[in-house]
Amino acid sequence: MSEKQSPIKSIFTHFGVYFVLFLFLLPFLWMLLASFKTQVQILNTEKIFEITANFNNYINVFKEYNFLSFIWNSFVVAAGATLFGLILGLPAAYSIAKFKQQGFGLLILVARIVPGISFLIPWFIIFSKLQLIDTYTSLILSHMLVTMPFIIWVMIPFFEGLPHELEESARVDGCSIPGAFVKVMLPISGPGIVTSSILAFIFSWNNFMFSLILAGDNTKTLPIAIFNFLSYSEINWGGLMAASVIITAPVLVIALFAQRYIIAGLTGGSVKG
Amino acid sequence: MKKNFVGFKKAAGVLALAVGLSSALAGCSGSDSSTGSKAPEKTTEKKVQEIRLVAANHPWTEAIKAQLPEFEKETGIKVKIDSYFEDQLTQKTSVEFASNSKNIDVVMFRPLQDGKMFHKSGYFADMTGYISKEKDYTKDFIPSSLGSVQQDKKYFGLPLVTETEVLYYRKDLLEKAGIEVPKTLEELEAAAKKLNDPANGVAGFVARGKRAAAVTQFSSFLYGFGGDFMKDGKSTLTSPEALKAFEYYGNLLNKYGPKGTLNMSWPEAMAVFTQGKAAFYTDASSLFTNATDPSKSAVADKVGFAPFPAGPNGSKPYNVTSWALGIGANSEKKDAAWEFIKWVESKEMVTKLQAEGNPGARISVWDSAEGTAKFPKDLAESIAENGKTGTSYDRPVVINVGSARDSIGDIIIAGIEGKDVKAAAEKADGEFQKILDSEK
Repeated sequence: MSEKQSPIKSIFTHFGVYFVLFLFLLPFLWMLLASFKTQVQILNTEKIFEITANFNNYINVFKEYNFLSFIWNSFVVAAGATLFGLILGLPAAYSIAKFKQQGFGLLILVARIVPGISFLIPWFIIFSKLQLIDTYTSLILSHMLVTMPFIIWVMIPFFEGLPHELEESARVDGCSIPGAFVKVMLPISGPGIVTSSILAFIFSWNNFMFSLILAGDNTKTLPIAIFNFLSYSEINWGGLMAASVIITAPVLVIALFAQRYIIAGLTGGSVKG
Repeated sequence: MKKNFVGFKKAAGVLALAVGLSSALAGCSGSDSSTGSKAPEKTTEKKVQEIRLVAANHPWTEAIKAQLPEFEKETGIKVKIDSYFEDQLTQKTSVEFASNSKNIDVVMFRPLQDGKMFHKSGYFADMTGYISKEKDYTKDFIPSSLGSVQQDKKYFGLPLVTETEVLYYRKDLLEKAGIEVPKTLEELEAAAKKLNDPANGVAGFVARGKRAAAVTQFSSFLYGFGGDFMKDGKSTLTSPEALKAFEYYGNLLNKYGPKGTLNMSWPEAMAVFTQGKAAFYTDASSLFTNATDPSKSAVADKVGFAPFPAGPNGSKPYNVTSWALGIGANSEKKDAAWEFIKWVESKEMVTKLQAEGNPGARISVWDSAEGTAKFPKDLAESIAENGKTGTSYDRPVVINVGSARDSIGDIIIAGIEGKDVKAAAEKADGEFQKILDSEK
């Protein structure tokens, strides 16, 4: 980035930015527009930007398809998986960072590299023996495979970046290692924790495969429920788009508000103290 | 190195503590959350039997939900329904079956897509015993539909929803041009040529052109020309009859089709037709509401239906069971499952469900006025006409249906692109033969 930019170059840069932005936003815009249209209007390619305010799709999503319960299910599972991922992952990340256990860290990463589908049949057998199919417990436990390694891997460089004199002085004042971790290190790790939990939450929120196999009628999550709009001989495009907006909105809102933290968190680890 | 090791011991200690602590917490949450959701079924010792039906997102599933209280009153059997979109249903059920789960009592499946694989893997309980106990039970079912759920004279399911390929056409366009509804493929080509009007954005003909998706709707053309996918374990994709069919289908879409047919499965092709941009369309009868419902179709009042046009070898459209019901091999409530299947397949129930637009497999229901009330008159007639000479499969009946469809789809694509069909067929023939050999 040079500070002096010729006006022509600046125009081109702006044009480029808006062009790319337009390309990225177009599907999103289409989704938003389509959610207010009827099936016939959606399929008409000549009047893409014609808007008639029609909230039937949204009303249907809640009334006919009962989306509130799916939203609640998704929320419980994602929040639970993130919370327990943090409880397990933060001390793990801290020990890996403090004692330089790179091999151990790699081992955890392997859990993410192995395709999730290979866990499914064993899990299904175990959980059905434990009578845990279609309960939040099995879903939260399985989603922790998504959230925990992620949290650990974001937090390792973050903890490495914190000045370790802080911990040492706490130890001098009589703290144990766990005590120093909880009382001194955790409170200053806010940005890292926020980043990793938001992203972990989003990954769990969007997870499809584990929920498909382990959830049942009582615990169906949003990514499965959205397929209710597709049936054998009919695709309810309007409903599908309205539901997509509803699924995307919370994630979008969280991401917008937490954007500052995410950037601080993601770059935080790279600057060594 | 040594220091590192000491470090590891300490770290391991801290970790073990953390793990122990949090697993205790996780344990707590476990009991909390399972009380939050409905407790897992432990009601087996009670008198009320509950069976689980794993079903597809399908109008039939919606319709049957409303009828369940009646069944429960009659038999005391409770039915719990889990429903999924078709591909997810296959994934979900195959994982459950593969892990020998006892949880599936009744399963809704696609006999032609998953049937052979599921059957060969031993996922289904044999229904032949139950069926033979009832006198003349199968007599009222459409023979080609029964063919879809049978192997070696044994039944692994009962047909639930049927479909056949019909010709959708625009009454107004044909009338204006003074064209009769085509009865043969030759007439169809002539009519499509005449009505093709790209300047006004109306194509003569539209149908599926997307690789695997096109195969099923192409099959009726193939049979009409006298070809087939295979015979006695040998691929017949390069037979002269098959080549003619591939050429005909490709030519029709190439010359008189809209732009972009290579990307069209039914939702896209149907959209072209319902936006008034095509005169003829061949696809499954089960999709008809998309064309005749004014909230989905811009030409709802102008759509006509006709039996599938005859080819040189006569009219042999597919007439298949798209969905069937089976009993899980490991189910502990097979008798209750059969009770349920018997009830939903009873003549009264099929009539009731068919009156709501779910095409069943019972001949007597198709002959009754009540059973066809919801269908446009010309569509009901077309379906009945197709049923007389129908073929019981719309894709090669193999285990690896997916890859077989991909190979055959390549020939269809070559046809639509106007490339050398024979060369494409020879290549696909080799691939398809390999699939057949691997399944022997």
